[in-house]
This record gives sequence, C-alpha cells and structure tokens, in this order.
Amino acid sequence: MKTNSKFFILPIISVLLMFMLLRDGAVAVASEKSLLEEVKAVNEPFDSQSVKQVRPVTQKTVLAKEEYQGGTFRVLARKHAIERYKCSRCHLDKPVLVTQGLELTHGNVVINHGRKGDELGCIDCHHPDDRDYLEDKKGRKVDFDHSYQLCGQCHFRQKRDWLGGAHGKRVSNWAGDRVVYNCASCHNPHSPRFEKRFPATYSVPLN
Amino acid sequence: MSSQKQDEAKTTIEDVLEKPSSRRKFLKGASIAAAAGSAAVAASYMSAADPASAGELKLRWQEYFKKNYRIMSQEEKDETVTRLERLAKMQDNVDVQIGNEPPVEKVLFGYAFNITRCEGFMECVTACVKENNLDRKTNTQYIRIFEMEPGQLDPSTGDGQYYHKVPVDDKFYMGAQCFHCEKAPCIKACPTKATWKEPDGIVVVDYNWCIGCRYCQAACPYYGRRFNWGKGEVPKEEITTKQHYLGNRKRPMGKMEKCTFCIQRTRKGKLPACVEACPTGSRVFGNLLDPDSEIRYVLKHKKVFRMKEEIGTQPKFWYFID
Repeated sequence: MKTNSKFFILPIISVLLMFMLLRDGAVAVASEKSLLEEVKAVNEPFDSQSVKQVRPVTQKTVLAKEEYQGGTFRVLARKHAIERYKCSRCHLDKPVLVTQGLELTHGNVVINHGRKGDELGCIDCHHPDDRDYLEDKKGRKVDFDHSYQLCGQCHFRQKRDWLGGAHGKRVSNWAGDRVVYNCASCHNPHSPRFEKRFPATYSVPLN
Repeated sequence: MSSQKQDEAKTTIEDVLEKPSSRRKFLKGASIAAAAGSAAVAASYMSAADPASAGELKLRWQEYFKKNYRIMSQEEKDETVTRLERLAKMQDNVDVQIGNEPPVEKVLFGYAFNITRCEGFMECVTACVKENNLDRKTNTQYIRIFEMEPGQLDPSTGDGQYYHKVPVDDKFYMGAQCFHCEKAPCIKACPTKATWKEPDGIVVVDYNWCIGCRYCQAACPYYGRRFNWGKGEVPKEEITTKQHYLGNRKRPMGKMEKCTFCIQRTRKGKLPACVEACPTGSRVFGNLLDPDSEIRYVLKHKKVFRMKEEIGTQPKFWYFID
C-alpha cells in the first residue's frame, strides 16, 4: 500500500515541477523580447500635437517643397539672413566686373567648396542672369530659402538623410510641427566644411 | 522623598541589568534611543546652520519628512514643489519655477548619436552644464566626448580629456552619457529605491531619497552617473530657472545625479539642451513609439549599434554611422 502511494505522488510532483519550470521559462522568453523589436512593432501614428506646452518655433520658417514621411515640414528661412539680399539692387542689367565685385563687395567670400584646385565658381550655384535666385544644373531657378534643392544635386546622400532626419536637426522641439535647419543654417555654402577650432570646454577625470 | 525616587530608579536599572532581557525589549530600547538621537541630529542641523527664519525652518522641516516622489499624490507633488521654490527664494534669492510634469502618454524617448558627424566641439557639454545647473566648482559634466582612434568602438580606449583644435584628422569622436537603459542595472543596485525608470523611459533620481551610497555608480557599466561632491555652486545669473523635480533642480550635497534627457524640457516637447546646442547635427532625439520620428528613421535606415550590447541592459541610446 505504501509503495503504491509513493508511485502516485512522484509523477504528480514531477509533472508539477515540469509545469512550473516551463511556465517560468515561457515568462522569461516573453520578457527577453528586445526593446528594438518592441519599438519596431509600434506602427500606429503618434499625434505629436498631443504634447502639451509645445512652444512654436519663433524663427522665420518656410514650408519645404519636399515631403517628410508622407507629410509636410518646414525649414528655416534663409533670405532674411543674407546681408546684401536682394542682390538685384546692384546686379542690374549694367555689367559688374568680377574682379571689382570680389574686391569691393564680396571680398569676404572665400570659396572652399569642391575639389581642391577645381573649386566651384559663383555661377555654378548662383543664377547667371537673375542674381536673386540660385540655379540648379537643369537650369531651374532655386529660391535661397529652398537651397536644399540645389545642394541635394551633388550631396544626394546628405539630402536623403536630411529628409529622413539623420542629417541636420530639428529646431527646438521634438514634438509639434516639424521644423528643420536648412543647409545654409549650419554650413557656409561657400566653405561648407566646419573649420577646426578649440572645443568649447574640457573634461576632468571622472569622480 | 528623593531617596525613595533614587531607590526606584535604582531598582529599575537593576531590573534591566539583572532580569534576562529579551531581544524584543532590547530592540525596542535601541530604536527609541536611535529616534531620540536622530531627532537631536535633525534639530542641530536645523539650528546650527545660518540663522534661518521660522518660515524657512518650517519649510525645511516639512521637506525633511516628505515621501518618495513615486508615492506622492499630485497634491503632495505640488506642495513640495512650492516649498522648494520658496526655499530657493529664501536661501539663494532666486526665482525658480520647479515643475512636476508627468510623462506624456505613448512616448518613449530614444537618442541616437552620429559618430561620423561629431567633430568634438563639445558645445553639447557646455549647454548641458548650463541647462542642468551643474556644479561649476568640481566641473561636473554629464556628457563626455571621447577622441577615438579609428577602428575602436569602446570609449574606454579613447581620450576623454583632449584639449586641442578639433577635429583631428583620422580620429573620430564619440559621446557618452546616461543611456537610460530599459533594464538599468543602477535601478537594481539602489538600496533606497531612489532611482527608477519613468514610463517615458527616462531613468530618474529622487534627490531627496538618495543616500549617496554610490552603488548605482558602481553598477552602471557606462559611467553614466555622477556624484555630487559639492553644494552645486552655480553663479546666480547663470541659474536655469525653469526646473523639474526630477531634473535640474538644486541637488543637495552628496547625492547622485545624471543626465535626465533634460526632463524639464523634453516633457514639454523641447529637445534636450545637448541636441539643441550640437553644431554638427550629430545628435538625434525623439519618440521611439512614433513611426514617423527621426529616431525611428535612424533605427530603420542606418547602421546602428549600442555600447556593450552583449550585457543586455538595452540602452535607449544608439550610435550610428552615415
């Protein structure tokens, strides 16, 4: 009789143990799902207007002539930041000699854009006839506020990243309407590479 | 009369000494003594400091006995915030606005850092110091930028204390700060539950519940935490007055602090100070639960990696290359 009861109890205990182990294992596996998988599983759109207290960007912006993930976005305006705009105030139909212009007005412009020894010239980007505009390689007028249309001809990788958000950055807010820096907000178009300089501060050893 | 009293006292002392005392009794006595001692310490702390007004003492008393932020009701949160604002006015004569904004729903913050673009100008660091009211005396910084040899991906091999013209050719720059891990080891290490992960993914510290044991600092594999050695000396005109209870408010001496993704800014939809200051656009910040966000674009289209991914802490901070 005694041996019989033992024979009954042992399998029950072992089954119970198995069950508990398996259950714990299943839980462990479920929580092992990585953050990246969880994040990528979220596909419902987020209403970025739902964030309260977002202050709209105060800088002057224009609606971009491109799309961001199927929607519109805005870029920082550029024209108001160009000191001598409008260019047509000087560049009328009267001829302006290049040497004179370089010496008298645009002496501060240093071209360091393009391959060394084969730098870009003014009218590679500026419109040859209408100086209030830029001109792309297909001869279309490009507004100064939308210079990304021009820059993106050569720097198409950067433009693709910029449109997606991996190059450049948003202005002030991560929520609310998307406003991004324009190409010329950060880069000097005549010398786009950032100059070498001392860092803003230094670090001391960790405590 | 007096001898009778003395006798009574004597008998009680003898009782205590001679009678077999139980553990329970002993602990009871000890706890009473400890309570008396701590009250005396608190009282001395309150009176020994600079002559404070009665109002200030009252506020400090109330502050001393508040709860952990996580179990405070909204009312209690508002009260402590008001108290802290008044104390800042009384003690340092600054007008600060301390917020206690809750996390925004359906938001999980994530961060990406472009190691191709960063050129080591360290403007993020100065912006962070300014925004978070970091101690100027000990030069505390939440962010570190490492100058890295090509081919290396572990910042401990890099130079974190460079000071020369940057960028140096053939070097790249890598920033490190608190990575706000989903499975943060620092949270497990904390003995007082003074640090936890908020629903929007930010790992925060309740500075009043932190006892400064620095276990979390030892537990963090990324050197993301800083110990507040000083009183947090900030020139009065440089204090960032828009603050958050879990963020850049004045920290008492001897507490742990760290990057909070600028909780005082990001919960209001603003970018962290480092992102806003970065001159090269190397820093991307956004909502991981928003499929149209920039951070999701980076995760989807770029080659990303995380530091020490193999230890399973799941940081919400990715490095990427163009």
